[in-house]
Amino acid sequence: MNAEQVKTSSATTLKRRWGPQMWPYLFSLPFVLAYGAFQLYPVLYSFVLSLYEWNGISAKTFIGIQNYVHLWTEDPLFIKSIMNTLIMMAMFIPITLILGLLLAYWTFNLTRGKNMIQTINVLPYITTPVAIGFIFSYMFDWQTGLVNLLMMKFGWLQEGFYWLQDEWSSRAIIALMVIWRNLGYFMIIYMAGMTVIPQDIYEAARVDGSTGFHTFRRITMPLLRNISVFLVVTSVIGGLQLFDEPKLLYGGWSGSSQVGGPDNAALTIIWKFVDESFISNTRFGYASAIAYSLFILIVIFSMLSYRLTTSREDRR
Amino acid sequence: MKALVWISLIIISLLSLFPFYIMTVMGTHYNEDLFKGIPIFPGDYLMENLRTVFKTDFLRVYGNSLIVSVTSVCLALITSTLIGYALAKFDFKGRKWIQMFVILTMMVPTQVGLIGYIIEMRNIGLGNTLWPVILIWTAFPFGAFFMIQFMRDSIPNDLMECARIDGCSEPGIFIRIVLPIIKPGLATLATLVFLWSWNNYLLPLVTINKSEWFTLPVFISNLGYVHRTDYAARMAALTMTTLPVLILFLFGSRTFMKGLTAGAVKG
Repeated sequence: MNAEQVKTSSATTLKRRWGPQMWPYLFSLPFVLAYGAFQLYPVLYSFVLSLYEWNGISAKTFIGIQNYVHLWTEDPLFIKSIMNTLIMMAMFIPITLILGLLLAYWTFNLTRGKNMIQTINVLPYITTPVAIGFIFSYMFDWQTGLVNLLMMKFGWLQEGFYWLQDEWSSRAIIALMVIWRNLGYFMIIYMAGMTVIPQDIYEAARVDGSTGFHTFRRITMPLLRNISVFLVVTSVIGGLQLFDEPKLLYGGWSGSSQVGGPDNAALTIIWKFVDESFISNTRFGYASAIAYSLFILIVIFSMLSYRLTTSREDRR
Repeated sequence: MKALVWISLIIISLLSLFPFYIMTVMGTHYNEDLFKGIPIFPGDYLMENLRTVFKTDFLRVYGNSLIVSVTSVCLALITSTLIGYALAKFDFKGRKWIQMFVILTMMVPTQVGLIGYIIEMRNIGLGNTLWPVILIWTAFPFGAFFMIQFMRDSIPNDLMECARIDGCSEPGIFIRIVLPIIKPGLATLATLVFLWSWNNYLLPLVTINKSEWFTLPVFISNLGYVHRTDYAARMAALTMTTLPVLILFLFGSRTFMKGLTAGAVKG
């Protein structure tokens, strides 16, 4: 490579010889500087803060890892927020994955209307979360919600159910919001993966007598494993940072700014973090400890999910 | 079997569309009517609701959101394209390190530094302005990664060599040769950044406390607590909020989906 550089630059002047070598550094500089200033510095600064007791106004007191100790041993709400987040992830990740794959498979084999179905199903992904929050809290409202009205009309319910005031139904509704938003995204990712699969594999399978579901199960699914790994890992990372959906479900339509939903069943880690730092409290040190704990959780869980999804490949 | 597939597809698509439809229709009803029954057909109260919305700071906030998104798009495109170009098309000492750096940056969630970021913004005097919501996009790791991938495949090395031999300066090559070639990639990245900054809720929620600097998501979730909670008007406002991204999406749905799938299929 070096020889090539020398050859090309020998044709030009001496000044140009170091010219091309300076430019890539100059081109990289804006990104590196901006990252350092607006992301790396805050991340490091947050870590320093997590070792202090500080409310943003008075003097900081250094307390070492006290924040972390308190957080993990004496704050049941934090543990509960982790559990809530994990429960909701366990609800929406498998469903979105399976439904997304099915939807992609069906749509991919269509001869007509492929683009239309794709476009329609990606629409939820581009809607602002605020709208999703309002719409869902309206639909599941106790008195006026569509769901209760319909269920009573069909005689499945005698009287309205407090969907948003029950621990499990509120979690399920949040999971439903996430599924509704991400289904189309999962679908187009899977479809992009399907276009890469060479068609002659399907030809060969058909010649060997494989049809329909068997082909899907034995050929399409294994070949899409990399895509599934990507989707699982990214949705684990995104899922641990769940905030918009639960916050907007309870902060929007109902008018009350109830924190955490019924009995804190919808309190996610980020919601707890935001609440400690900006809404109910201004405990910046303590909240930074939450942020770092979340960071560690994200690293652990993303590695775990990567391991889990790829080891199955080795077993085969 | 085929009929079954079609029926399932149609049901799922309708479910995808339904909340949209409800949102639009609710915006056309008189607020108190919303509680009487299911608003399936459009009402005739749209103009009144729009009047209610425009009586508030809606236009100003809409402007704020536009400023934020457009500026974010420009800044993110500039830094991402430049570093993408350097890493994809130059061979230099430390290239591997910088590339590793970009990949590592993708793995750090922004929320981890949120408190530090806000304190930093206050300290440099940008608290309660639009800047904190914009500046976060100056270093957009996914954008940098996307641009590296995109440029590696789409710019022929020969073309750059020829330009160099003809005596074209490096910035000249970048502006006159590279930029025109990567227009599709720029469009894709621009749509994504626009979408994500437009819909961003958490960051403006915690950085902006003055209502004059609210962006749309924060503004609407705070709208109308003063006199009465006018849900119909809110829905009309939400429909208008969804409009720009909807238009962007319908015009460039191909570009858009290409961007969304960019990371997955390669990796």
